[in-house]
Amino acid sequence: MATLQLKNIKKIYEGGVEAVHSFNLDIADKEFIVLVGPSGCGKSTTLRMIAGLEEISEGELYIGDKLVNEVEPKDRDIAMVFQSYALYPYMTVYENMSFALKLRHLPKDEIDQRVRWAAEVLDITKYLDRKPKALSGGQRQRVAIGRAIVREPKVFLMDEPLSNLDAKLRNQMRAEIIKLRKKVNTTFIYVTHDQTEAMTLGDRIVIMKDGWIMQIGTPQEVFDHPANIFVAGFIGMPQMNFFDGELAKNGEKYQLTVNGCPVEIGESLQQALKEKDVPSKKVIVGCRPEHIELSSADNALKATVDVSEMMGSEIHLHLNCEGKDIVIRVPSTKLSAEHRGGFEFGTDLKFAFPADLIHLFDPETENNLI
Amino acid sequence: MKQTNKPSMSRVLRRRETFSAYLFLLPSLIFFIGFVIIPMVLCLYTSFFDSKLNANTPDVFVGFANYVELWRDPVFKKALVNTLVIVVVSVPTVAAFSLWVASAIYKMKDWMLSAFRCIFYLPVVTGSVAVTVVWKWMYNNYYGIFNYVLKGVGAIDNNINWLGNPSTALWCIIIILFTTSVGQPIVLYVSALGNVDASLVEAANVDGANNLQSFWKVKWPSIMPTTLYIIVITTINSFQCFALIQLLTSGGPNNATQTVMYYIYYTAFKLYRFGYGNAMGIILAIFIAVLSAFQFWLAKEK
Repeated sequence: MATLQLKNIKKIYEGGVEAVHSFNLDIADKEFIVLVGPSGCGKSTTLRMIAGLEEISEGELYIGDKLVNEVEPKDRDIAMVFQSYALYPYMTVYENMSFALKLRHLPKDEIDQRVRWAAEVLDITKYLDRKPKALSGGQRQRVAIGRAIVREPKVFLMDEPLSNLDAKLRNQMRAEIIKLRKKVNTTFIYVTHDQTEAMTLGDRIVIMKDGWIMQIGTPQEVFDHPANIFVAGFIGMPQMNFFDGELAKNGEKYQLTVNGCPVEIGESLQQALKEKDVPSKKVIVGCRPEHIELSSADNALKATVDVSEMMGSEIHLHLNCEGKDIVIRVPSTKLSAEHRGGFEFGTDLKFAFPADLIHLFDPETENNLI
Repeated sequence: MKQTNKPSMSRVLRRRETFSAYLFLLPSLIFFIGFVIIPMVLCLYTSFFDSKLNANTPDVFVGFANYVELWRDPVFKKALVNTLVIVVVSVPTVAAFSLWVASAIYKMKDWMLSAFRCIFYLPVVTGSVAVTVVWKWMYNNYYGIFNYVLKGVGAIDNNINWLGNPSTALWCIIIILFTTSVGQPIVLYVSALGNVDASLVEAANVDGANNLQSFWKVKWPSIMPTTLYIIVITTINSFQCFALIQLLTSGGPNNATQTVMYYIYYTAFKLYRFGYGNAMGIILAIFIAVLSAFQFWLAKEK
């Protein structure tokens, strides 16, 4: 069993700087967890504490049922893929991949079998005799993964493994990791700052900021129901638009206005607000660029076009709405032939929010009201 | 279009740049040719003559006679053996000790690291005469601190004449040479160890290596170029051990501390046999060159 339990884990550096605050997470056997957040949010520090490369200042870390706070990295039965790949430059690919197995005094035949299996899985058999410097970035990445999978570890740790690759290779390797996961079938903890990687790879995502967990959930959960403004802005590309709004409770119904224009609230959102008994108050209204629709209704919000980006299948419109910059994604197919190539600078447009696809946040706590 | 790796610069510009480069190099080149190349050639040339470097007594061509005499000269043989003992003992000891010290201190806080570097580097920057005078006092037969301490703790009954005893004199020289030689290797190793890619060491730790294994498998190959440099410069310095001998023992007692370098000086400037001394110099240069080449080859093989 390779469950992990992180109980109130803290990382406090010399001088009292707290990099990770009370990190609590239960990871199920064979689960793929992604830690995601901007630079300096503590995700890599957390991963390094799990690996044993950083001391845990406070809290408890269990791998299986065993408390491993004081266990050395080599005895934790984990394998790690580093951002820089960390391949031993003086060893061949074969030696790199067999190094950990030799240290464990496995029989030569078994070492050879495991290395060749991993090389086959990762399609690097023909590079086994090469030194890392004779490989491309993508090949080095595969070797780094190969070195980890030959171990058959309880937990597989990956620290931004794709960040040094170009965009095309990154997409390709991401798909490879999804396939690999099915073949290896063990617990994965994956660190990235790329929300696309997080969304596509993780069973659950842990979104972090300044050492705090902002939200833990499945990709769908964090996308559909972000816990706060940070998560709402972090997940989704381009990021969610935010507007100042006014929420008024009028008997059994809630009414929302943005820039003086009424915005319809869907039935499920009405119900949720009612259940939480949210009072009338100022709110921050969030709506994703792909959910905002161009409208011709009289009470729609008005904006002018700043920039129009033709992306092929859709157009990204950067609009100025009463001094606020917003972005909307409009599928080309929904536009008239005249506007399929984009809009002129300064064009006046009107847009509306779909009733069920808006998010309401408290301006003070920045938390989702629902 | 023809592809070249060289920057696309016109021939005229390139020639102008080469000319400027040589102009910048000129002062060093003149110095190097005048004070290194020409003396080396003269040294080789003179080694085939019975030369007194005296206007009144002309040089007499003797062919390989000086070299033949060398192999029959028991003092030269003794000097060569002593020099080799110094090299064989001091080179690995200096390299191993400096690596050990550097490994222990390179992760320390900046101020502690600086303090240790300063302590070990002090004998290097202090004038060799000053250092040698202090050691001479410490080794002194009557009032030296070694005899005082050893007698005080009851380790010896009678004073030892450290530099006057043929069985201890060479080791005393080696110890001083050791203390003055470790400074630079320690500084170099501290820097080399600090530059070892930390993620490689971490990867080895995760892979299951203990400290010793991660040292031999990861750090040691990474600091190999530094080790090679240290071994080569320590070898050359040990072969050329001269000032210590001149200041402390003048090669005595009974040639127990005679080294090739000191014997060259003695032959050339005391006996005025420059041809013979130069022949020794050539042999010493060959020894240093062969040993250094072997060390480079060994490092490359590894």
